[in-house]
Amino acid sequence: MQANGAAQFGRFLFVLLSAVPIVAGVGYALLYSLGLTGVMAEGMTGAHWREVLRDAAFWRTIGFSLYVALVSILIALAIALALVLRSPRTFTKGSLSYMIYLPLSIPAIVMAFFIFQLLGKGGWLSRLAHQLGMISALGQFPDWVNDNYGIGIIVAHVVMAAPFFTIFFANLYENERLGDYLHLATTLGAGRRQRIFRVGVPILLRRGLATVFLYFMFVMGSYEIPLLLGSQSVQMVSIRTIQRLQRYNLGDIPEAYAISVAYTVLVVVLLSALLWFNRRQMRPS
Amino acid sequence: MSRTVKAMLVGLILFPFAFLLMLSVGRQWPYPALFPQQWSLANWAMVWGGSEGLSNSVAISVLLSTSVAALSTGTSFWVSRHIAYHPKREAWLSMAYLPYVFAPVILAACLQFFFILAGLYGTFGGVLVAQLFITFPYGVIFFSSFWNERLRNMEQLVKTLGGNSRQAYAKVLIPVARGALATCFFQLFLISWFEYGLTNLIGVGKVPTLTIRVFQYVNEANLFLAALASCLLVFPPLLLLWVNRRVVFKG
Repeated sequence: MQANGAAQFGRFLFVLLSAVPIVAGVGYALLYSLGLTGVMAEGMTGAHWREVLRDAAFWRTIGFSLYVALVSILIALAIALALVLRSPRTFTKGSLSYMIYLPLSIPAIVMAFFIFQLLGKGGWLSRLAHQLGMISALGQFPDWVNDNYGIGIIVAHVVMAAPFFTIFFANLYENERLGDYLHLATTLGAGRRQRIFRVGVPILLRRGLATVFLYFMFVMGSYEIPLLLGSQSVQMVSIRTIQRLQRYNLGDIPEAYAISVAYTVLVVVLLSALLWFNRRQMRPS
Repeated sequence: MSRTVKAMLVGLILFPFAFLLMLSVGRQWPYPALFPQQWSLANWAMVWGGSEGLSNSVAISVLLSTSVAALSTGTSFWVSRHIAYHPKREAWLSMAYLPYVFAPVILAACLQFFFILAGLYGTFGGVLVAQLFITFPYGVIFFSSFWNERLRNMEQLVKTLGGNSRQAYAKVLIPVARGALATCFFQLFLISWFEYGLTNLIGVGKVPTLTIRVFQYVNEANLFLAALASCLLVFPPLLLLWVNRRVVFKG
């Protein structure tokens, strides 16, 4: 009886701390965006949603967030896969197996600051280029931070994600006994390219798909890095939402909440696609 | 992998740490000098001296992250057991992924109203509760794979021998879970320690953790103090990583 009560209380606590905040948050944002609550509440209206969905800047924001996440993850994956498939034991044994963890101790805000000081016009690389005679003035250095292509944001995410994926794939390589498969492929006459692109990469990517996808979502919703390294003209979704919420114009708040709900819907759709894909992969052929 | 490539990788890994350390002890760095023209430990002395509020931020960050990690680890360990042994375990567990649908900063934006209502807006307690919303589900997911039939049998053995639930936890479950508890605490500490957006939004700048300080110094264009605060942010995770080396490697 007592154990049953404890179990029920445990599950109540679980719902309270996991589901209630999300349902409350999305519910409030939805009600606000529909004009049903908040200081500017004017009764049920779809005006804010129409405004957001017709606004080209909103779609640019979504597109830019997807682009930054996609490019960052693809580059980080390419680096991690190349390192692990070239020399898998380096990252599970020896000094590098410990050192590869060090970059994980750098928070996003510190990484953003570091990349700003490295790639900015007055940054270390610009100074190096000046010392090497490649440029003669600060203005000649390219715009690699606060630029419209998100170069600084992408570099920061790649520097953070590449060590993470290297550790992840090096462990997968061992756990999945990929070495044995590659050896088998060699015995069957596969060349170096075939071993890598027909065996190594597909197995690692298929096994790590969920983690890669969750990291993709993390990059898409990132805040600190685009806050320091992003531009004002093309913004990532978190930046646009928070900026609209913190403006003095109260009329922007319902739109900020509409963006939050729209982003949540997008994430849920992408997650559902992942689950569907995963289930299809698991189904016996 | 050749020695040259290995050396290059080590250099690339250590470069950000060396760069931040260099700036934290620098004073004047006019363009196009590669290194600061003056070196001084005065910035670091400020931390121990208590000026600039940096020591205060270190204390707040340590207190906040330790509290969040301890609370989340303890609660999620206990709760995850009740979820893991439920017949519809998968359905319950899927709820733990819900907070990751939102970016933490967007979650904070949507919950702002409720924090104001509860009188938690701009308070240490508010930031702590907000961080629990992200760390607790992570802990539940982390521990969900820990509970298994063997542990259940051990628990039942304790009860057969006349022990109660409390004794089962104290004498069997917690000692067996020591490694997992340490790893979970370490990871949750880092999540809290690294958090900026949610802390800034719910704390409204009144809970000046080290991440808030870094951004404040960057805004003030004080790159030497920003580098110093960055070093203070990076140092504890490095220390924890070193201490937990074996645990992390086992994980």
